[in-house]
Amino acid sequence: MTTTTSERTTSSPTAAGSAAATAPRRAIPWGKIAAWAVMVIFLLITLFPFYWMLRTALSSNNALATQPGSFLPVGLNTGGFERVFGLQDVETAISQGGSGASINFWRYLLNSVIVATTITVVQTFSCAMAAYAFSRLRWRGRDTVFLIFLGSLMIPQIFTLLPNFILIKNLGLVDTLVGIMLPTLFISSFAIFFLRQFFNNISREVEEAALIDGASKSRVFFTLILPMSSAPLATLALLTYMTAWNEYFWSLMVSYTDQSRVLTVALGVFRAQSPGTGPDWSGLMAATLVAAAPMLLLFALFAKKIVNSIGFTGIK
Amino acid sequence: MTTNPLPLSRRRLLQGSAALAAGAAGTTALASCGTVGAPAGATEIDYWLWDANQLPAYSAAIDMFMAENPDVYVRITQLGWDDYWTKLTASFVAGAGPDAFADHLARFPEFVKLGVISPLEGLGELDALPADHFKQGLQELWTGQDGKRYGVPKDYDTIAVLYDKALLEEEGLSEDDLASLDWNPEDGGSFERMLAHLTIDENGVRGDEDGFDPKRVARYGLGADAGIDYVGQTTWSAFAFSTGWTFTDAETWGTSFNYDDERFAATIDWYFGLVDKGFFPPFGMFGDSSPVQTQVQTGRAALGMAGSWMISTWANLEGLELGIAPLPTGPVGTPMSMFNGLGDSISAQSENKDEAARLIGFLASDAAQQAIGERAPFFPATDVGTEAAVAAYADKGLDVTPFTDRVDAGETGLYPLVENSAAIASIMQAAFDQCWMRQIDGADFASYNERVNALFR
Repeated sequence: MTTTTSERTTSSPTAAGSAAATAPRRAIPWGKIAAWAVMVIFLLITLFPFYWMLRTALSSNNALATQPGSFLPVGLNTGGFERVFGLQDVETAISQGGSGASINFWRYLLNSVIVATTITVVQTFSCAMAAYAFSRLRWRGRDTVFLIFLGSLMIPQIFTLLPNFILIKNLGLVDTLVGIMLPTLFISSFAIFFLRQFFNNISREVEEAALIDGASKSRVFFTLILPMSSAPLATLALLTYMTAWNEYFWSLMVSYTDQSRVLTVALGVFRAQSPGTGPDWSGLMAATLVAAAPMLLLFALFAKKIVNSIGFTGIK
Repeated sequence: MTTNPLPLSRRRLLQGSAALAAGAAGTTALASCGTVGAPAGATEIDYWLWDANQLPAYSAAIDMFMAENPDVYVRITQLGWDDYWTKLTASFVAGAGPDAFADHLARFPEFVKLGVISPLEGLGELDALPADHFKQGLQELWTGQDGKRYGVPKDYDTIAVLYDKALLEEEGLSEDDLASLDWNPEDGGSFERMLAHLTIDENGVRGDEDGFDPKRVARYGLGADAGIDYVGQTTWSAFAFSTGWTFTDAETWGTSFNYDDERFAATIDWYFGLVDKGFFPPFGMFGDSSPVQTQVQTGRAALGMAGSWMISTWANLEGLELGIAPLPTGPVGTPMSMFNGLGDSISAQSENKDEAARLIGFLASDAAQQAIGERAPFFPATDVGTEAAVAAYADKGLDVTPFTDRVDAGETGLYPLVENSAAIASIMQAAFDQCWMRQIDGADFASYNERVNALFR
């Protein structure tokens, strides 16, 4: 099917070109135009909020309200972005409607990357092992334990917040990145469930053949199961990365100073700092754009993979 | 399924684990450099505050403190208003709160009740800190029902009328015209006549002219924030106070509210009655993102009432030349402003209360107050601090005395310092919202008052 598609796409421009040259009176493709028009409208609707963010980010905070409907930035300046990257001194920041907090952007970005990457790698790997145990190994009480794991999906996060926090405090990990990562580092019931369902569908014959050839269970896991599940693993890793990246409340609880402050929490400084003052709109929009950039990048790099794996899981 | 786009070999996996191990090592390295700045042997204490605008002033003062007290290292944490209280409450439950923190009058009674903040009595130099070191009445606000002090006054705020000088000039009015207004709940006095004159409908007809359409107003005489609550700090409280009304039966720690008082009912009927007259925006006209300063900046409102903590925000607005006028004189013969003060409290859970007390004591000292006042976008709690702040504003061409005069002349009413503030807020919010929607009137507040008073029985 791939070949036909590529043939079609490569041949169609030339076909259209030659058709236009030889038969100028060819009927106008209204259907195609309409389809494109609809596409363009949808594209504009989707992209407009991003444009509006950019427009607000480039506006001056103190002038913003004077022309709320202007499509161009009001009082064009880059103050919002300067505040995000911590390039502005405190007095300028305050006079432009920002806050007096100093911003160490690259530090927060590094913290966020460390936290999200570590959680993603460790959690995906440990959950894959757990899922394999639930799917293929036979042991007493396996299904009961699995049900307990599934049940834990129903516990709201807020219930575990304080016990977790007290544990982290007693371990002396408050205000450290390890403290932020630890509660979600190893186990995610969703990830185990997700992978177990997938492993269940891998044919047993393949595994049995490997066992007959003398492979150990762990070898089967590493050389057979993991490679065969690379697509769902990649999807899961991406989801985990995004969740870890966006986590707010737990990071807020554990972090006290810049050393453990992740990007999401740090960007809270652009929200209203005291009642009545209102948010720093241009800083907030600039920060949101900057914070979304790594996620957009990740998606751009792995978009095909995600689509593939979603298709893949559907085909089974 | 046979072709594998991303073969995950054992070698790759091992590489991955190696990278992970390296990452973990990096993390530990980062974690270990956590105590940067805390010199060996120094006691580390945590100080929290919410207002980022106060951070530069407080950082400077705390640096001074650490220079004088090398045995104490202060870790400052700043979080925005909402996050601040969430994290503070959760941290108290977990026993991991700060040693000292900026506290608010609406919250501290709850903290006293829960036993999470410590009285200052017996805490080093705070034990003998006299109340007259601060502006009159501030220490009273931070004194509990047991007569003990639970906070050191940090700064205070009052209310004034803010406007755009250019608009005033356009209207042919002088600053004195605004400075000498009077008000009463019956006909609103010259203050209401001023609002009427400054209100313009969509046809350009003024509020005091014939043919004015109160339903289609282009510019309201008086602007308002999206929410008006049981305290009415920057809204109705100034008017109610100026009738001689008080929130409760006692200055502080009252147990019986006066929302059923005739003077309150008359004030509320006048205040929200401005909606019917077209001089004041109806309920829901402006959302949270169009606060009163935005309304004045964009010409949707002529005057705005605002607290002193907002001066810098107003002064920085583009296209607005800030003018400050005192509140109108009420039936008691003077203007009356709400007087609210923030304080620094010390956690009962702190293991380093003495160090925390030294810090808080230092922040209240003349040297620190002077340093804070010079940088402050607010009024520090002592005379020295306030003078420094007034001078700093004067350097920028702003006369902020309409705010400070109220305190000096004693023309203030205290922020209601009571228990059950959260419950009161939720009961009264319905009443204020409905009154603003013009569904109930001032006399109907009596039934809500009964519900509020029942909380204290």
